[in-house]
Parts: sequence; C-alpha cells; structure tokens
Amino acid sequence: MNNSLIEISQLSKIYDMGGNNVVHALQDVNLTISQGEYVAIMGPSGSGKSTLMNILGCLDTPTSGHYMFRGTDVSQLDDDSLSAMRNKEIGFIFQNFNLLPKLSAVQNVELPLMYAGVPLRERRERAIEALASVQLAERKEHHPGELSGGQRQRVAIARALVTRPGILLADEPTGALDSKTSVEIMQLFHELHEQGNTIIVITHDPNVGSYAHRKITIHDGRISSDALNENITRVAMKS
Amino acid sequence: MQYTENIQIALGGLTDHKFRSFLTMLGIIFGVASVITMLSIGEGAKREAIAKYKDLGVNNIIVREKNLSDSELEEVRARFSPGLSLADAENILAVVPGVDKTVSQAEKTMELKFADKSVRSTVIGVTPGYTDILNYTVREGSFLTEGQYDGRQKVCVLGAGTAHTLFGKASPVGQMVKMGDQWLEVVGVLASKTVFTETVGELAARDLNTDVFIPLTTYLDRFPRDRALDSEIRQITVHVTESERLMETSRLVTQILDRHHWGNQDYNIVIPYELLKQEEKERQIYNFLLGAIAAISLIVGGIGIMNIMLATVMERTREIGIRRAIGARKRDIMAQFVTESVVISITGGLIGVVLGITLSLVVTLFTDITTYIRLYSIVIAFTFSVLVGICFGYLPAKNAANLKPVDSIRYE
Repeated sequence: MNNSLIEISQLSKIYDMGGNNVVHALQDVNLTISQGEYVAIMGPSGSGKSTLMNILGCLDTPTSGHYMFRGTDVSQLDDDSLSAMRNKEIGFIFQNFNLLPKLSAVQNVELPLMYAGVPLRERRERAIEALASVQLAERKEHHPGELSGGQRQRVAIARALVTRPGILLADEPTGALDSKTSVEIMQLFHELHEQGNTIIVITHDPNVGSYAHRKITIHDGRISSDALNENITRVAMKS
Repeated sequence: MQYTENIQIALGGLTDHKFRSFLTMLGIIFGVASVITMLSIGEGAKREAIAKYKDLGVNNIIVREKNLSDSELEEVRARFSPGLSLADAENILAVVPGVDKTVSQAEKTMELKFADKSVRSTVIGVTPGYTDILNYTVREGSFLTEGQYDGRQKVCVLGAGTAHTLFGKASPVGQMVKMGDQWLEVVGVLASKTVFTETVGELAARDLNTDVFIPLTTYLDRFPRDRALDSEIRQITVHVTESERLMETSRLVTQILDRHHWGNQDYNIVIPYELLKQEEKERQIYNFLLGAIAAISLIVGGIGIMNIMLATVMERTREIGIRRAIGARKRDIMAQFVTESVVISITGGLIGVVLGITLSLVVTLFTDITTYIRLYSIVIAFTFSVLVGICFGYLPAKNAANLKPVDSIRYE
C-alpha cells in the first residue's frame, strides 16, 4: 500500500445558479496528498479553494470525479458516513474559530468525542490532554468569550486534534488574528507537523502559505501550480 | 447517545431566555391546567351523583304517591283508586319476578320535642328491612327491629341532624322524645348523610338528616292521617335482584298498580339507576366538550413551541453547522432539537399540573362545586404535553437536521 492519504482524480464541482447560469467551481482537479505532508492550497477569492476545502473536509460532495481517502471513495458515501468521516478523519480549524460560545474550552474540545460515542470520563481525559498539547490546560474551564483570539484558535486546534484525525484542515487559520498571534499559531502548526500530523492550510495569504512544505495554487477552478516550497519560513523555536 | 448533553443544552437554552421560554410554555401550561381542572370538576360531579343515587339504591324502584290537591284526591278516590297501600307492596312482592324485597313508608312533618328544645322533622313510618335496601348507617344504638314492628312499640331512630338539634353532643339513646302527642323512646341514631341539593326525578330535594324513623305499625296506630282521604302509605321501595332488569320490572310494577288503582295515575315511578345512567350520558357530552377545548389549547401550545423552535433553529444555524462539521449526524441534530422542545413541553406540563391542582382546590374552596383529582387525569395531561413536544418539535428538528453543513457553517 502506498502512503498516499488523499487521491483526487478528475474532480469537478458545478453549481447550478438557476436559469442557464452554471458555475464551474472546480474543473478536472487531480491531486495526491501523502501522509505527513504540510500543504498550502492558495489562490485568490473565487478561485475555488473554498470549494476544494469543503470537498476535502467531507462537508460537500463533488459533482463528478473521485475523492479517495485512505482508499475509501468519499464521493459515494451517504450522509451518516460523511459525518463519521468528518468526525474521525478531519480536524477542522476555521478562520473564525467556530467554537460554541456557551460551552467551556474543555467542553468544546470534548464535542467531537461525544459524537464519536466516547464515554464521558475518557472524553474528558483526552480533551484535557489535547488542551495541554496547545498549552491551554489551565484555561479549560474558560468560555470562548473569556479567551483571546489566539487562545480561541488554540482551543479550536485542540478540538481538531482530539480525535487524532487523518488530516488537519485549516481554512485561513490566522485570518482573524494579529500578526504576532499569527506567528504563534503558525509555529504551533509547524510543531504539529513535526509530530507527524498531515496539515492542509487553505489561504490567500502568502505569508501563511510560506510555512508549508508544498504549495498548490488554484485559479478559476483548476490547479495552476503544484510544487515543493523552496523557501520555507523557518520557525524560531521557543526556548 | 448523548441524552444528558442534550438535556443540559435544552435546560441551558431554557434558562438563557427565561421570558421567551415562559411565553412559549404558556399554551402548554394552560392546556394541561385546564385538562386537570375540567376533569376534576367532572369527576367531582360524577362522585356526587353516584353518592346521591347510592343513597336511593341503584337496585331500587321507587313508587311514590303524587302530591295531590284536595280536589284531585277526591277525584281519584271517586274513580275507585284506594291509593298506595301495604296491599300493593305485598302484591308486587308476590307477583313480580326478580323482586326480593319491598319496604313501605308513610310520613308526615311533625314537631319533635325534648326538654326545652324542639325541631321540625319528617317522621317516617317504615316496614322492617328498610336499611337492607336503602343506604343508611347507624351511628349509635340500632335500627328498628322486626320485634319492635310486630309489637307496635313506641320507639324511634333519629337522623343525625335532628339528634344534634335536640341533644347536642349528649347521647339520645334511651331518652324519650315527644312527637305530636306521643312519647317515643330513642333506640338509635343514624350517621350523617349528604344533603340532597337537587331534585332527583320526582323526589324533591331535602335534608335526609332531619328524618326520624319509627315502625310503620306504630305510625298507623298513633298518628292520624292529615286528610281523611289520604292513602295508607306514601312510598313503596322495590328492590330488584338484578339491575339489568330494572326497566322490565318497573313496567310490571306499573301494570299491577294500574290494575289496583283502576287506571288512576296517582303515583310516580323513579328508577335511580336509570336517572344515574341518563345523567352520566349528559355528563359525557359535557366532558367531551371540555376535553375538546383542552385539547385545542394543548395544540395551540404546541404550535407556540413549534414557532419558537423554528426561530431557534434559524438562530442557531451556525451552531448546527459547527456540530455537523465535527461529526454530528443528522439524527444527532434531530435528537438535540426534539429534546429541546420536549424539555420545554415537559417543563410547561409540570407547571400546568401544579396550576391545575391549585385551580381545582381553589374551585372547591371558593365555590360549592365539588372537584376530585384522579391520578389518571394528571397522567393524561402530562403525557399529552410530552406528545405535543415531540410532535411539534419534530418539524423544526427535521429542518435543523436537513441544513447543509457547508452552508450552515458559514451562516452569519
């Protein structure tokens, strides 16, 4: 078995806007991502990168083509199986964090485990463990409203990590953060990658993209370039 | 599954929007409260009716002489009717199958005196076996015996009210009371009975507690008839072994009496059981109406819940998107929102139960309507409120579950 985690072939997504107005958000995309890669998917707004992210994250299904995840054809799965895929294999990190405001940090992190059917005690232990891995163990009882933007994003990262997913899928992860906090988050991504996580970052920001080891650029629904990053931004390791 | 979490979420939502939740529940609260109150009023009326008819005996046919004016009385006598008599009672017992006992009574209102106290009572002369077929309980002493009847003894049994007026708390048994110009010895006192507040068939409403019973033999010996033409007795109570045959039996009784009274309709027949059934039928219609009103208010309450739940789902589209993105299945979202509406309806139901019980008590306290809360009415009302929560929560929950994750996660 080869070590490719994701294999996308001939993938298209067409939105029917009514009338004869049809939008080709993605056209004949072919893409392979291997275990342990750190990939940035870049492109201007409207290029189709969000659509690609939705499909990669099993939030949406392609109009045609195939999306194989660990050998499973995701495009053929029903809604429950897609939910299970999102739960077990995808760790989402969003631009606006998407934490539930009424739950504490640790409850937010527990949530994916609840849907996975993990018993309460184990859930709590693993959630605290995940929070500890983003240095937020002591803030576990805080609600998102009581945390800074960077801390909220770290809670969201802990939530993404807690199910030990196949990929971390980050959509503009620093879009709502100041530059200093952004660097901290990118540093955390670097560490996570070092620990063996597969990371896909979707961004229009070249700075964010520059941390990744491989850059894929999308234009008008097609991959226009796919190359290793010659110029990886080195992360200043904390002492 | 995550029942605990869902209930926590629902309770959290409830306490976050207290006023809104209260308004949402209002329909359910009133629905449940009205179901319980109405059923308790219905049940109270039913129990009152049953108690009333039980006093008259559900296996009895009551033959009672009409209240005739002097001229009417003369007319029926002129047409050969001898009026009700002990012979009629004997005939009925001998001829009509299924009749195992009859008791006869004559009565008149008299002044009773003991020491310096006096009271107006209905003095009733009865044949033995009276307490076998009519519902009387002796509180003290004993009821009239066959020996006292055959011996034409001057003894009496007092109703609770009369005993109280004449003797207060002291025991009347063994004392002599004066009625008319006769002195009679008290041998027993009856337990207190419910007061007739309404006319039953042809029987006028009256307070049974002021009755005084003496042997019919003594009565006929010692007390002259008010009018020369008055009948021997006023009432015959016919006891039938099977209550299913009351109607046939009463037809036979009528035939016999018609023959002996030469076709004169100088008596009425009252069948308490038939009246009870008839009253029950009327009450059923009334109960059905009340039930329908209560059901409508529960449905209106349900619509209120549905309305709020639809708004809640809209409001929480983003949350639904987040939950879906991290792995919630459609049915998890369904369960979450159905739980929420059920929690609202259960809370409303509980408040409604408390309110309903309170209202029933208030009705009993401040009006003369009797209420009686039966457990089943609480169970019915509560079950309905839960069902309303499930039914009217279903559509909003379905909407929530069917939101597309990709759209809802970016919903602003």
